[in-house]
Amino acid sequence: MATIEFRNVSKTYGGGAVALSDFSLSVADGEFCVFVGPSGCGKSTALKLLAGLEATSGGEIHIGGENVTDHGPGKRDIAMVFQNYALYPHMSVRSNIGFGLKMHGVPRAEVARKVEEAAALLELTDYLDRKPRALSGGQRQRVALGRAIVREPKAFLMDEPLSNLDAKLRVQTRSQIVMLQRRLGVTAIYVTHDQTEALTMADRIVVMRKGLIQQVGSPDELFHHPANMFVAGFIGSPGMNFFRAPIERDGEQVFLTFCGARMSLNPAADLSGLGDEAVFGIRPEHVVIGEAAGGPALTVDLVESLGTEKVLHLALPDAYRMSLAGTDLGGEKGDVQREGLLVRVIDDRSFRAGESLPVRFPADKIHVFDPRSHQTVG
Amino acid sequence: MKQSILGRFGIYATLTVICGILLFPVYWMAITALQPVNKLRQYPPELFPSDPQWGVFRELLARQPFGLWMWNSTLVALATMILSLSVSVLAAYALSRYRLRAGASMGLFILTSKMLPSTLLVIPLFAVFTKLGLVGSLWSVVIAQATLIAPFATWMLKGYFDTISPELEQAALVDGCSPFGTIWRIILPVSAPGLAATALYAFVLSWSDFLFARTFLATSQSTWTLNVGIATLKGEYETDWNVIMAASLLASIPIIIVYLVLERFLVSGLASGSEK
Repeated sequence: MATIEFRNVSKTYGGGAVALSDFSLSVADGEFCVFVGPSGCGKSTALKLLAGLEATSGGEIHIGGENVTDHGPGKRDIAMVFQNYALYPHMSVRSNIGFGLKMHGVPRAEVARKVEEAAALLELTDYLDRKPRALSGGQRQRVALGRAIVREPKAFLMDEPLSNLDAKLRVQTRSQIVMLQRRLGVTAIYVTHDQTEALTMADRIVVMRKGLIQQVGSPDELFHHPANMFVAGFIGSPGMNFFRAPIERDGEQVFLTFCGARMSLNPAADLSGLGDEAVFGIRPEHVVIGEAAGGPALTVDLVESLGTEKVLHLALPDAYRMSLAGTDLGGEKGDVQREGLLVRVIDDRSFRAGESLPVRFPADKIHVFDPRSHQTVG
Repeated sequence: MKQSILGRFGIYATLTVICGILLFPVYWMAITALQPVNKLRQYPPELFPSDPQWGVFRELLARQPFGLWMWNSTLVALATMILSLSVSVLAAYALSRYRLRAGASMGLFILTSKMLPSTLLVIPLFAVFTKLGLVGSLWSVVIAQATLIAPFATWMLKGYFDTISPELEQAALVDGCSPFGTIWRIILPVSAPGLAATALYAFVLSWSDFLFARTFLATSQSTWTLNVGIATLKGEYETDWNVIMAASLLASIPIIIVYLVLERFLVSGLASGSEK
């Protein structure tokens, strides 16, 4: 168990490609910290630098207060779970789990005892003498976890360990990992591109993009108070809706004008620095719809039904559309080009394409962004 | 899609013809060895010897130092195999895993050396070995063979190492293995099929060498390998073809043994299960 500190760490590859720049982060002892971001954001690089699998180009890495920047991977007392598990195919499950202990010179009897304990914890006792090829995906994943926990390291590093499991097993395993980490109290750094995993597992999330930290915070902080449009679009599923709209001022009060309707903005927000127009964001689940909403009507383009939950695609007038193409904002490819307004509804109402629905955006749920810097305002 | 009976018949017929063509020389070698001398040139030939002369093997072993030749060939083939594999494992690993400044061109350069015909190398090598005092020593053949085998073996192994996930080594490094320990404990066991294929290639090529052995060992009868020894069985005026064929049959046995030993490693898929 240990704290982990990145101090102004950078990584530049040959050819000048910057994978990580001025990365500073402090992870508390026993904390479950998730690095999340799209492909190429530098999250896996940060993990490899922490593991010692790649050399830093600048800065320092401290584990448990000790500067380990120049230590090899075997000297950092960390354990790592890889995306493809990286089990040794020629060894039995028992040898796989015990390999790290053996390499650290632990006596044979103690290795055997610890392997048995780890196997019991992960329900692998019956498979100890099998080779990895004779195991299912979930069992292999547990062997990889066993290999990590058996050494009782200072920190667990996990590089997208669930991405090869099917959806059902992934949900089941992610809660097992969290419970295991809490039980062992070991500091964990977990890398994923899946924001759902990040939100459900993390004590603290580090959102990354293009080698830079965008925001560090708890899942609630990131969801409710995103620092910029990137975080707002990346966290949440579906991601936040964005649209451009003019701003009107009436004394101290600031309004947004949407389809002829005036909608008030959070009076507590300081919007004095904004010009005549801003980018507004609202999460699909926060849009109020129906007659009671009393706002401007938008046409339903598509209804996606997920049982009790429905996602409505409402047509957004051209003047308000915010094309994110070229801005490299948003999460996965699908989110970037979204031009309609998504509404998430969890009730028994039925909707059909073509109907008009009045919409309203509650003042305290509207996020305001600077149209140039894309940073949150207010 | 189910294959039609005609299609399957065509495949089996083609395979049978190919196997027949490949095995015919072996069959001819066997029946020539077992035929009595006076029936060797009869026409039409006897396809199955009615009176097999098993004594030809006894005669061969009694008259010639066949055991010594076999021993020399075994030493040369094993030493060549070990030497070329030791060099090529490390070279292939470096080419596969490290981003070398001139990695790609170096790889091609190594392969180019394989393109050089042995005959081109014989004279320079002879000159070098003479200066080193290696002419007449089995080491001359071992070194000459290894220089030819190692480049191609490097490429064979590089191709195999490329298929192994680097994360396997990273896992071993995190587990506390040294970089060399990672090669020894993880990469080599996982590469068993690739190593077996390369070892077999090196052994067979070295075992069948005649040019280098004939050139470098000609003056030293005690170091003759099988191929050099068998070549001397051909007389100027008279040749006992049945004895030569018997010797050739015996000479092919070690290859079969080596193949059978390595065969279980040759099956691919040992690495399956390491990932997802």
